[in-house]
Amino acid sequence: MDPIKAQQLAAELEVEMMSDMYNRMTNACHRKCVPPHYHEADLTKGESVCLDRCVAKYLDLHEKLGRKLTELSVQDEEVMRKAAIGSG
Amino acid sequence: MAASSGVPAAGAQGGDADPVEHFQYSMLMEHLIGDRRPIKDLNPAVMAGLPVPYKSDEHKMIERAMESCTFKGVLACVGGFVLGGAFGVFTAGIDTNVGFDPKDPMKTPTAREVLKDMGQRGMSYAKNFAIVGAMFSCTECVIESYRGQTDWKNAVYSGCVTGGAIGLRAGLKAGVLGCGGFAAFSAAIEYYLR
Repeated sequence: MDPIKAQQLAAELEVEMMSDMYNRMTNACHRKCVPPHYHEADLTKGESVCLDRCVAKYLDLHEKLGRKLTELSVQDEEVMRKAAIGSG
Repeated sequence: MAASSGVPAAGAQGGDADPVEHFQYSMLMEHLIGDRRPIKDLNPAVMAGLPVPYKSDEHKMIERAMESCTFKGVLACVGGFVLGGAFGVFTAGIDTNVGFDPKDPMKTPTAREVLKDMGQRGMSYAKNFAIVGAMFSCTECVIESYRGQTDWKNAVYSGCVTGGAIGLRAGLKAGVLGCGGFAAFSAAIEYYLR
């Protein structure tokens, strides 16, 4: 596949991917770090520390899983290519 | 999302080479998440959040300093000093023994001696309160940063640490007692405040 085509396709998909990731990350970290006791409007020290850690872990996870998925799909394609060559 | 199955490209060329252009998921992923992704500044407005103006570097630095544990400790220290001074002067005012001269018990102390005694007592209370306040505030902030949660347990743990540290100077049993007492006091205050 053409890298340029992949780049164009990625540019189209990226907006949707980023917005989806942002929404999920916000929801997950809010659910985990901010208990529903709204005594004050500002984020407390514990909550802001927790949010920092949550976002860092989420992005780390996102990247690691993405790389793993890429690896697995490369192996998949190898298998398919060999099957195609074998049958063709 | 397309799986890694073959998708013929529009305008496939003939020939004995592989005529079908397979959709390579891995290459797409490289451009999306992997090493070949474009460098973008992640603005919440781009990612479908609410557009928020960027915080300048000085703003962030000041915020980080104001939320740090040392600043909170210093604040508690100063506050404790003032409060302790006021408390000491007040208790000296209602104490009948202020200005008492042990060498001459019958003598009425002069105003200057009484004032000096009140000042000394006020200063001693102020120093104690300042140290206790700074220790409590600092340990509570550190424990809260470690746990990542804001609830009443932070105050109880740091009360135990502070009471224990103060009590340990007089032996182990006094340390344990100080820990328990201060932790209970902190728990009561937290219960009242929440």
